[in-house]
Amino acid sequence: MINFKNIMSIAFFGFIGGILRYLLGVWFAFNGTIIVNIIGCFLLAFLTYFLLESGTPASWVTLGLGTGLIGSFTTFSSFCLDVVKLAELHSNTYMLTYLTISIAGGYLSAFCGMKLGKLSGHSMKWRNKM
Amino acid sequence: MIYLVGIGAALGSVLRYLITTVIKKKSRTIWPTATLLINLSGSFLLGTLYGLATIKVAYLIIGVGILGGFTTFSTMNTEILGLFGSKKSIYAWWYASISYLLGIALSVLGVIIGVIMKSH
Repeated sequence: MINFKNIMSIAFFGFIGGILRYLLGVWFAFNGTIIVNIIGCFLLAFLTYFLLESGTPASWVTLGLGTGLIGSFTTFSSFCLDVVKLAELHSNTYMLTYLTISIAGGYLSAFCGMKLGKLSGHSMKWRNKM
Repeated sequence: MIYLVGIGAALGSVLRYLITTVIKKKSRTIWPTATLLINLSGSFLLGTLYGLATIKVAYLIIGVGILGGFTTFSTMNTEILGLFGSKKSIYAWWYASISYLLGIALSVLGVIIGVIMKSH
């Protein structure tokens, strides 16, 4: 639902996510994008499936963390531009490695996040019932 | 400087949220139109901005901040997972292929257009 609280939460957490991404980019250059994207895929899939199992808190919390923090932390536009830049530099091996790690790594880390999220979400629910 | 990136990212995130919410309200399919549209347009615009070779502050606010926060890699992968788990798992392959191939192609096109705009 679009309301002031949700928007402020997304803006606040998006602010933090963007700064963290920027810092990792400054420290690790192209590898920074790989790092943020792989970590972000794991975290978002974990959060999504954890909450699906355990039950969801207030919408501003999930939107802030998922859409704001993690959504802003990861980036698709920089990923695409990095590939173009690496092609421009004629670093073909690096470009192919970059592509493979981002695409396969992103999917696999999201998959692991999902599995772990379902498991821990389920045990949370189970514990709450005791 | 770092706060400017943050403010841009906050704007980009909110814009992504608003577009996603509006599109999801109107569409009845599980095909992730919103994220696809956001990622493809964002990749094109970032390419253009890079081709234009603007001043560093503008690139940091608009490119790293707004467009970086607007586009998302994590949502796309979580959606791919969801599509694989659904009855229409073929959509997952389509979604991933279109995102990656068209995203990179649009990024190249953006850079070319930016360079041309700069030289004129």
